[in-house]
Amino acid sequence: MTRDAIRDLILEIIEDIDEDADFDTLQADKPLRDQLDLDSMDFLDIVMELRKRHKLQIPEEDYPELATLDSCVNYLEPLLADA
Amino acid sequence: MHVPLLIIGGGLSGLAAALRFARFIPDVLLLEQHSRIGGLNSYYYRNNRLFETGLHAITNYAPAAVKNAPLNRLLRQLKIKRKDLDIHQQNQSEIRFLDQESLLFSNDFSLFEAEIANKFPASHPGFQKLLQLIDQYDPFTPLPFISAKQVLQEHLQDTLLTDMLLCPLMYYGSSIERDMDLGQFVIMFRAIFLEGMFRPGGTIKDLLDLLLKHYTDYGGKIKTKATVKRILHTGKKIHGVLLSDGQEIRCDYILSTIGSEETFTLLDEPSSLEILPRLGFVETIFEIEKSTELKQGHDRTIIFYNAADQFLYQQPDSLVDFNSGVICLPQNFQDLPESPFKEVRTTHLANYSEWKSLKQDKSSYNSAKDRVALTSLPVAEKILGNFAQNIVYRDTFTPLTIERFTAKKNGAIYGNPVKIKDGDIGYDNLYLAGTDQGFLGIIGSMLSGVSIINQHILPRL
Repeated sequence: MTRDAIRDLILEIIEDIDEDADFDTLQADKPLRDQLDLDSMDFLDIVMELRKRHKLQIPEEDYPELATLDSCVNYLEPLLADA
Repeated sequence: MHVPLLIIGGGLSGLAAALRFARFIPDVLLLEQHSRIGGLNSYYYRNNRLFETGLHAITNYAPAAVKNAPLNRLLRQLKIKRKDLDIHQQNQSEIRFLDQESLLFSNDFSLFEAEIANKFPASHPGFQKLLQLIDQYDPFTPLPFISAKQVLQEHLQDTLLTDMLLCPLMYYGSSIERDMDLGQFVIMFRAIFLEGMFRPGGTIKDLLDLLLKHYTDYGGKIKTKATVKRILHTGKKIHGVLLSDGQEIRCDYILSTIGSEETFTLLDEPSSLEILPRLGFVETIFEIEKSTELKQGHDRTIIFYNAADQFLYQQPDSLVDFNSGVICLPQNFQDLPESPFKEVRTTHLANYSEWKSLKQDKSSYNSAKDRVALTSLPVAEKILGNFAQNIVYRDTFTPLTIERFTAKKNGAIYGNPVKIKDGDIGYDNLYLAGTDQGFLGIIGSMLSGVSIINQHILPRL
């Protein structure tokens, strides 16, 4: 999966969590949670959707790697290389 | 049979937990002892119609835009559309201390603030400080018991106002007598006064059916009339359950929503929890002719009343304490669909043991139930205006009724006074959600199920 495709995947998952999420002003290097009104419960949805869609097991200690859109892409790129 | 997750109890916390889990991992089994789901919030058929149990009003009303409000977080977590709930807000509710004072409140908090400013001007600055405290307080950090009553009294310097603020919050969610923990007070204050109350346009059955449909659509399984006889375990490690019909079900995790002591009983382990009195309630439903005008009812949704000199939220010595209680008028929500029925519901504190001792003799138990309805009636009429001549049907639930249908120990709807906020009762792969975890009300109990699943089980599977 390309970096762009991973980025779209994350945005798609977030849109699925909150259909009113506003991506126009989203800054890729800033925490998603602050910008999108996501709480820790919503955040878990991203992890679980990645698991459901791509059989990815993300250990709890790696959750901070998913804080920003950029860090998500960096973290997932090697994991989704063959996807 | 083996499942990754087994949930005991098909009440709202169990259903929400099951639905949350099945969204990602469909292989989950929900066990319900009764033939019908819902637990405390269920229904029954009598007199050719459906009667709801439990539901008066749902607390935690929030507009769609307030994304971090408990209601909206819950809907997101369960992927339920807001419009499917068909939300109808309350008209207006009231705290009435007879011959003393009355305070109105609605889903617009400014009404309540104005009422307090008008009627308790000396306490108003203190009330503002209290609001700041409530705004900044984190009720989810585990702390030793802090007396809400004392904090209120320090801020308000008025015992009447203190009691009037506590009355609805105690009746709608306190498992302990005479006082509340400050954290629980903050949760309830937000849920009832700052957020507000609503109900769905349909019945509780519609809501339960909606949850169940989503759950089974994901592939989740449910087994009703399934009584767990024992939870199988070696030390702190759970293996599964044995049902009363002899079937054994193995699992990786158990979520129990049936109460802490009830769970320890199934584990065949002594509970080390402190034993405090559990609060029982009686409720009478008066179905009245649809044309009935309640002269002093003023379209109120809920009235929390106290008729005694001093408000006492505690287990009475007698069968029932009529000195205080809740009067609910379920038709008084905004723009509800036309219904052929109208009701008045009254709730009072009751003594479980007194009811239990009557039970030996069916006729004295039944006549006591009748007496409760007939004593509660004039209390409600004094507040609402007369309606005795318009009653078409009535029914009374006692703590024994509630115990029988929900298996809640002593029929105590708010469960054990000792709450286990993190759901951890000392086992490797068994957690507690629901009433004894400590989030109460329909939204609270559902969030309880969801958050224990999120916190302890989903990240580990």
